[in-house]
Amino acid sequence: MSEANGHIETTPQFVGKRAAAPRGAAPFRWERKAMALHSLLVYVFLYAPILILIIFSFNEARQTARWEGFTFHWYGRLMENKLILRAMKNSLIVAGTTTVACTIIGTLAALALGRYGFKGKGSTQAMLFLPIIIPEIVLGAALVTFFGVVQMRLGIWTVIVSHIAFSISYVAIVVRARLAGFDRSLEEAAMDLGAGPIQTFFRVTLPLILPGVVAGALLVFTISIDDYVVSSFVAGVGATTLPLQIYSMIKVGVTPEVNAVSTLLLLVTVLMIIFAQRLQQQPGEGGDKR
Amino acid sequence: MKRILTTLAVALCGVMAFTGCAKKEGKVLNIFIWSAYLPDEVIAEFTHKTGIHVNYDTYDSNEALLEKLQSGVADYDLVVPSDYMVTILRNEGLVQEIDHTKITTWDNLNPKFLNKKFDPENKYSIPYFWGTTGIGFNREKFPNGVDSWGVMFDPANAGRILMLDDVRECFAVALKYMGKSLNETDPEVLRQAADLLKQQKALVKTYNSGDFHNILAAGDVDLAHGYNGQMAEVVSAEPERLGYAVPKEGGTFWMDNICIPAKARNVDNAYAFISYIMEPEVNAKIVNGVSYASANTPAKKFIDPAILEDQAIYPPDEIIDRCEFLEDVGESATLFDRLWTEIKAQ
Repeated sequence: MSEANGHIETTPQFVGKRAAAPRGAAPFRWERKAMALHSLLVYVFLYAPILILIIFSFNEARQTARWEGFTFHWYGRLMENKLILRAMKNSLIVAGTTTVACTIIGTLAALALGRYGFKGKGSTQAMLFLPIIIPEIVLGAALVTFFGVVQMRLGIWTVIVSHIAFSISYVAIVVRARLAGFDRSLEEAAMDLGAGPIQTFFRVTLPLILPGVVAGALLVFTISIDDYVVSSFVAGVGATTLPLQIYSMIKVGVTPEVNAVSTLLLLVTVLMIIFAQRLQQQPGEGGDKR
Repeated sequence: MKRILTTLAVALCGVMAFTGCAKKEGKVLNIFIWSAYLPDEVIAEFTHKTGIHVNYDTYDSNEALLEKLQSGVADYDLVVPSDYMVTILRNEGLVQEIDHTKITTWDNLNPKFLNKKFDPENKYSIPYFWGTTGIGFNREKFPNGVDSWGVMFDPANAGRILMLDDVRECFAVALKYMGKSLNETDPEVLRQAADLLKQQKALVKTYNSGDFHNILAAGDVDLAHGYNGQMAEVVSAEPERLGYAVPKEGGTFWMDNICIPAKARNVDNAYAFISYIMEPEVNAKIVNGVSYASANTPAKKFIDPAILEDQAIYPPDEIIDRCEFLEDVGESATLFDRLWTEIKAQ
């Protein structure tokens, strides 16, 4: 999702530069208009269905096909639906735990890969990319087979372990990117002034890479709370997450209740992505203090 | 760094072991079932009465259920597969034989729904809900209702017809209209059915298996081939505008059934629950709550008359007798698929 956003947002800039540069003169108006229209259509294509979903979550009619008036009724119903509330709780537990674990492990992995040369570094790096490249359905099937072999009962922990497994890469990659422009002389200076390795890490290194770490964490939270495919394979007793719950509900028919819960999920996800992108774009505080 | 990772891993295993233990204590029953199949109040009353805590998860397809049971590490004690899936689960050894004597309310079941081909003598399954595939229609356009699959082949209705996007269901329509069994395997008959469906294609506005009821309710079509459960939802919202009928030639019959997985850990609790939900008043409460037809005879006394009279939920007996289950057609499945591709590619 974030990749798609990034791509679209760069389009207008690209267009602007190209149109202005070679001719030197003012660009043709119809060219700009065509481009604006094109962008508009892309946005409509991508977001109109989502917008309709949101609008219809306020629809008074039980059926989704027709508009019969504005209401908050379905949000109220949502709050009374024990299954949805439990699924929401499960999703928050899973996404929260996954985020904490992945942030720690992923940051450490990024530091190791970015700083040190060691035997098997190349293959470790390749392995780190693997969960992003492997189709989710293969990952899900592999994980459930693994849990079967080690006789780990399916439940909320198998969901958490699976989410951690495929999310570590995201933190590692984001943090590594942050490390690329890292000025190591700052750490050396801290050490010279008598800070131990741990003190150096927490007082100098971590604050400098923090925007990367937080962005990675938010990304993982988003991916985890959205995940359907892997979760559907590895969820067990009492571990139905929100996407699983929504999917089993729409099989019986899309009610505005489903629209309402989708809207809430969407809201959380979008806020997270916006926040993550802000953090990635900002130059780190540590860098400015130099 | 290695030490930190090791510590983390150990901690994680510790927590897992802890939660693993916590789950075993107390009386529990883990149910895996279709969404909107069990009202909350029935579960709450069962827990209140027996002290058995119910964990309740939902799935969206028979295949999702199969995958869970195949993993061998899913702790479910009670599942509700559809007819054909019962056969698969039985053949895979994933469900256990049911001891009918442990179900105190067994005699409440209507014999009409027992001993079906997918599970002879009900050794592994107990009927829970059943239903049909028929025609949802717009009463304003068809004030006299519909009673035959013929309307789906009538050129007068061109552009107003929706068919399920499903090879077996569409062939069932053609075969039933021709007066044949919907499990027909004679290649010659199947070709004739395919010709009928090819001619029909020009009249069909859309093939849709997921949202057919909403498309009908929105007025985009006036005749929709579809499952009764979803149809009942839109029909009961606007009974004066919409209707549902199983044509006189008969249609597809489906049944969802209670099974106990082979690896269930709380078998006694499962039997207690099955006996409980088959009590007439409890069963009626379930039917009234979710609007599907059950196979429980004495429960009918307590079921809302509006539901009993609703043809979309309880079609009359003589029509049920003309409906059939979709059965495994063996090698003919390839021919079905090839003919269906021809129809869709036309």
